[in-house]
Amino acid sequence: MQSPFQRNDRTDGAHQRMISLNGISKRFGDLVALAEVSLTIAPGRVLGLLGENGAGKSTLMNILFGQLKPDAGSITSGGTALRLRSPAEALRHGLGMVHQHFALVPTLSVVDNVVLALQSSLGRIDRAAWSARLRQRADALRWDIDPTALVGSLAIGQQQRVEILKALLALDQAGSAQRTLILDEPTAVLTPQEVDELLPAVRALAADGVAVVYISHKLAEIARVCDEVSVLRRGRVVHRGPATETTERLTHLMVGSPVSQPSRQACPAPSTAPVRIAARDLTIRSDGRTVLHQVTVEVRAGEIVGVAGVEGNGQVPLVQAVLGLLSATSGSVTAPGKIAVIPDDRQREALVMPLSVAQNLALRRYREVPFSQSGWLSPAAWNVHARALMASSDVRAPSPDVAVATLSGGNQQKAVVARELDGDPAVIIAVNPTRGLDVGAAAAVLNRLIAARDRGAAVLLIHSDLDELLAISDRVVVLHNGRVSDSSWPVCDRAAISRLMLSGSPLEPRATGPLNVGAEATS
Amino acid sequence: MRRWLVGSGEFVIAIGAIVAVIIVVLTGLALLGHPPLTVLTTWFQGAAGSGTRFALSLQEAGPLLLTGLAAAVAFRGGVWNIGAEGQFLIGAVTMVAFGTVLLIPGPGWFSLPVALVLSTITGAAWALLATGLERWRGVPVVLSTILLNFIAIAVVGMLVQGPLHDPTTTAPQTALLPEHVRLPVLVDGTKLHLGVLVAALIAIALWLGLKRTTIGFEVQVVGLNPDAARLLGMPVGARQVLVMAVSGGLAGFAGAAQVAGVTGMLSGSPISYGYAGIAVAMLGRLHPLGILVAALFLGMLSTGASGLERRLAIPHDLGDVVQGLLVLAVLVAGGISARRALRPQAEGT
Repeated sequence: MQSPFQRNDRTDGAHQRMISLNGISKRFGDLVALAEVSLTIAPGRVLGLLGENGAGKSTLMNILFGQLKPDAGSITSGGTALRLRSPAEALRHGLGMVHQHFALVPTLSVVDNVVLALQSSLGRIDRAAWSARLRQRADALRWDIDPTALVGSLAIGQQQRVEILKALLALDQAGSAQRTLILDEPTAVLTPQEVDELLPAVRALAADGVAVVYISHKLAEIARVCDEVSVLRRGRVVHRGPATETTERLTHLMVGSPVSQPSRQACPAPSTAPVRIAARDLTIRSDGRTVLHQVTVEVRAGEIVGVAGVEGNGQVPLVQAVLGLLSATSGSVTAPGKIAVIPDDRQREALVMPLSVAQNLALRRYREVPFSQSGWLSPAAWNVHARALMASSDVRAPSPDVAVATLSGGNQQKAVVARELDGDPAVIIAVNPTRGLDVGAAAAVLNRLIAARDRGAAVLLIHSDLDELLAISDRVVVLHNGRVSDSSWPVCDRAAISRLMLSGSPLEPRATGPLNVGAEATS
Repeated sequence: MRRWLVGSGEFVIAIGAIVAVIIVVLTGLALLGHPPLTVLTTWFQGAAGSGTRFALSLQEAGPLLLTGLAAAVAFRGGVWNIGAEGQFLIGAVTMVAFGTVLLIPGPGWFSLPVALVLSTITGAAWALLATGLERWRGVPVVLSTILLNFIAIAVVGMLVQGPLHDPTTTAPQTALLPEHVRLPVLVDGTKLHLGVLVAALIAIALWLGLKRTTIGFEVQVVGLNPDAARLLGMPVGARQVLVMAVSGGLAGFAGAAQVAGVTGMLSGSPISYGYAGIAVAMLGRLHPLGILVAALFLGMLSTGASGLERRLAIPHDLGDVVQGLLVLAVLVAGGISARRALRPQAEGT
């Protein structure tokens, strides 16, 4: 998608209704989270808020949404000072927020989720009325939504629509003349085509007079959807300007130093290289469903094989089968017993949050000397090991003794990568390894995978970010509906790969609407 | 390593909760006309005013310590064993059986330890029934252990009135254990027995085991994040079985030691050391040494409360009330501190 969306430059009367943050400061102990930050949010415009993890974006938005109190500074609306002591108060002033993590009950229907969030009193629940309001809002954004569908059965992109509609209805209910919607990393969990569908809706909201704050660290999206951009770095606004700045310049501003984007010449391993992971005609039935259908994938030493696909098309069973956690119904999987894994959900699958950084970094090797001797642990060795890995992998923590839960998401992921790639593993599986990371941290993780490949490791990369996947993979296979595309595709053919992800066919243009695709992706 | 087991903040929580409850209870008693200072000194004299009184407190702390450790080991390993009560009874009845009916040949230094070990094993086996039900039938442990408590009470009641009944009486009780299978008493005039000392050593051993061994580390990882443990190739199932066996074994040993050290027999009257153990574990914040202190404190609370009843005519049930309040206070304080840790910080992402 190349066309810039229609910009709305209507500013009539907008000046009086602007929300201004003036000199907002916030400290947490010794850490300066925000230092004299000033922003202006205008109705009908989309303001991009760009910054790395830890730059202060979320702190700022939590202040705007009444969840945190600033140490200094003021928030004004059309010149009058606002007191925002709770999200409810923020809502009354027309400030709504869509969080990165959804607050939806999967076992309830769409309309029931809305009722749950918005109907405060105990009175009769008028589902029909709520459904009508929901439909009306959705129609304005050209979204097709079924109020009776169970939220748990919806694709992530559709769940997000429910969250946005919920926030809009909350604003309607609050009845404020002006409406401001904060979108916190709205595309972090979306597939490329879901992103393509979200961005026009954001523009439509702005056209309807909503002031939108779009928080992201994805520069391409900022350029596509925002009118202007403010860049936060270490709690300060370091740049304010049009969203049309070059990517390099914005990245530089955000990170504070030039970042080299990881990419390399695709170079499939020669057929003489030993096969490290081999799935042959792998079929897996689980709960009466065929989740993998005669899948054949090989990964040889010295190559990165990317698995593209909309989430829920068989990626999870494929990984589980390779790791030996799921047995094949027919066909075979050969893989070594020792595989380094960078799992999808680091907090649930890789880290033990209350334990220290040193303990988490030793989780693969605690049974080896010098980490333990005949069953007795040697904590001193754990600390030495942790300090070495933290230094070599740039894991930033005050000390190896702090709980890993206190680290930022990027540092947690770097810790996982440091642990898993420690000792030069021959086989690596990485699932969405840069999810939720900012540009700098993501580049660091991808570069580690490239380095591992260059020294001869076999890497199976499952990634929902197609750009990153294509940037570092040597070959790409596409999973669709539990089936894998015939053979591997050259990484340059992005269009064919996109079509394969959606329809399972590289040729025919998709006939079905976007929502049907979303529903198929549901697992 | 400060975070090796549980953060030091945990002890601040426990002590804060204890102080808060003491203030509330003393205020309540003051309103009823008991001056706080009198109450405190009378309580302390009852709990530790003399060597004998303190020995009584220790005697009371013994079973609480063991069942507290039983609960804590299970909880640390992520296994919700609420069945210490039943495992305690099964251990106790095993001790009675091998002391009075199924006599173990040989001198006391042989038959007593053998009977204690057998009781530990039956306690562990009773607990593992729940693990088996979970593994093969998908029954949640938190449910099956509670239900197995009721079954244990019924089974023990049947044995006490049936094969183990004391033929010389009509009361529902077993015969007394002969001297040679009794645990040696440490302080004259009390029933403070060797088992309490063993319990203290077990607490220290568990502390070291959790803190310093690879198996202890695995137990913690499995308890905190079984998904990650599985992906890292840890023997998750085996560790859960181990934890359940140790937990049930400790409760079984507690029951046997109580019979062999204090009561000498089992009667129909209810005991609730198993449930109290959960309270002790919570109060000690699941830390073996914290539980040592918590058990001692609750032991003193109990003997001190009987002193209050004798001197000031305050019903000794007050001890149970305070115990309940303490657990509530610790859980509330723990919840508050956890919520504070979750509050949006510098950056949420």
